[in-house]
Amino acid sequence: MSAYQDLSLQERMLLKFEAEEFLYYEADLLDSRRFDEWLNLLADDIHYWMPLRRTTQAKEVEKEFTVPGGMALFDDDKTILTMRIQRLAIGRAWAEDPPSRTRCLISNVRIDSIDEDELTVRSNFKLYRTRLNSEEDSWIGRREDTLRRSEGGFLLCRRHLFLEQTVILSQNLSSLF
Amino acid sequence: MSDALITTDKASVDVSGCFDMATGILDRRIFTDEEIYQEELKKIFGRAWNFVCHESQIPNPGDFMMNYIGEDEVIVVRDRQQSINVLLNSCPHRGNTVCRAELGNTKSFFCSYHGWNYDLDGRLIGMPGEDDFYRNNIDKKDWGLTPAAKVENYRGFYFATLDPEAPPLEEYLGWVGKVGIDFMLAEGDIEFLDGIHKNRLQCNWKLAVDNLYDWYHVKVSHGSAIKIGILDAAAMAPDNQMVILGEYGHGIGGPGISEEEQARYDARLASGEGEPQWYDRHAERRTSPETREMLGPVGTRSFGHPNIFPNLWVAQTNQVCLRIPRGPYETELWWFNFRRKGMSEDEQKFSAFMQNHMFGPAGVLEQDDGENWSHSTRGAKGTFSKTLPLNFSMGNKADQVSQDPSGQSCIETVINEHAQRWTYQSWQDWMAAENWPELMANHSQPPTGEV
Repeated sequence: MSAYQDLSLQERMLLKFEAEEFLYYEADLLDSRRFDEWLNLLADDIHYWMPLRRTTQAKEVEKEFTVPGGMALFDDDKTILTMRIQRLAIGRAWAEDPPSRTRCLISNVRIDSIDEDELTVRSNFKLYRTRLNSEEDSWIGRREDTLRRSEGGFLLCRRHLFLEQTVILSQNLSSLF
Repeated sequence: MSDALITTDKASVDVSGCFDMATGILDRRIFTDEEIYQEELKKIFGRAWNFVCHESQIPNPGDFMMNYIGEDEVIVVRDRQQSINVLLNSCPHRGNTVCRAELGNTKSFFCSYHGWNYDLDGRLIGMPGEDDFYRNNIDKKDWGLTPAAKVENYRGFYFATLDPEAPPLEEYLGWVGKVGIDFMLAEGDIEFLDGIHKNRLQCNWKLAVDNLYDWYHVKVSHGSAIKIGILDAAAMAPDNQMVILGEYGHGIGGPGISEEEQARYDARLASGEGEPQWYDRHAERRTSPETREMLGPVGTRSFGHPNIFPNLWVAQTNQVCLRIPRGPYETELWWFNFRRKGMSEDEQKFSAFMQNHMFGPAGVLEQDDGENWSHSTRGAKGTFSKTLPLNFSMGNKADQVSQDPSGQSCIETVINEHAQRWTYQSWQDWMAAENWPELMANHSQPPTGEV
């Protein structure tokens, strides 16, 4: 394991560029509703997780998020994510028929660490959604992703999402982040 | 100051013609009319016993969580004597909130405006300048946080009412409300988990309530969830339905098994043959004499959805859900989650899987529910469309209420809208009564004979 900080500037730039290319491509697949192709970018052991968040007193801010294994908005493995996507294709998924229009903006990409064939990447996102003629939602948050090198390029093996909302102000979370 | 927290204006909205129990026809304006909504906050939420917490959510002195009674924010807090208090979150000095966190632990509630400070039981214990500025001319005992009129619990489930004339909680719940809560305890003691799924829907709260009895929508609304195999269609919308109706609008509606079926399950389970099916997974757990005693002969055979009127749904997923009004067009859903003590690791995993994946904003079921309820609400907004009646006639006058020797009664039938009709009938009773004595005297009794 080589510490990310020990790498040269060029090496770090290359790594960051690779990670960004993956994240942008992957976001574009979701925005373009190419969900099957998106699924192919997920490792079989992916953990896709979004904890619940609560307003706490400043002195108890450690209670803000629920913990892994507990209650969550998303706590998905690949089987569940595949089901979510199959659901959209087979009809009667009313929250997404007519489909949402989404656009995901990703910024503040930083490599957190490298561990053999895995990169942990932090980023911020804004997912903007409109639906029908008048519905508008936007979600801003932070992601912690782990990307694993494989023969065909990176696979996403961990995505932990931290939303800047407590009570979810949208009618649903039928979009993927 | 009046004794009653909620004083009802005599010139109140007349909703007596909004629902016709004889035909099941409903005036859809009850989903969008602002005046009716304001009246509901006073006459229903202001009077009812509202679920505020389970005792395990705030186990230690100083533990608190926020909840709502209608649109009024209340602090639910355990004090040093272990009592659970329900306090209006509003400082009597300027009205400011004295607590802004959803949960936590505190020694007191300190108003951030001028520093009035309240004990865990709501007593005003001090303020800056009591001597110098107030010249000791203020009686602190008159200016505490306003407590709910009554707080009581049934088997660890705490409820509060703002109306001092409300009957005792157990009388309010009646056997239907109590059995609804007993369902959760039928397999042993429970403890609530950290984390309440909360989100906001663009629908009227009553549409979210009437849906919990609705086993007609499952195959259509949740068609995609069934097709991907996350739900079993036969198990989700079985034709064998049992409806149990209780005073003040409580009810239980959904799957049930007949006495004959129960006897067959019992025999098969006793012989150890065959795999448990969806029903007898419950039936199997309900074989102990204690459970049968707790639920009674009719309750034991019901696997439906209880609603504790007005807005507490007891789901079958180790969850309860509050449908909290946020205006005529908006409702917050709060999913409280619990586990049975002593669950195996596998059972706990399955339970958490259901809790995180069925309901809530990302739940594969509830995403599609929200869509339908918000568009039904929208359909009650149009100047012309809101004048058109809605049809709640399914199964009307087609069934019989059967009375068990134990005193428990139920309707055993196919998919139907009996419990929805009962909800709107009872809603109308609540809205017609000017106070608790009137409601006690005039509310509808659960039907007998033909329904």
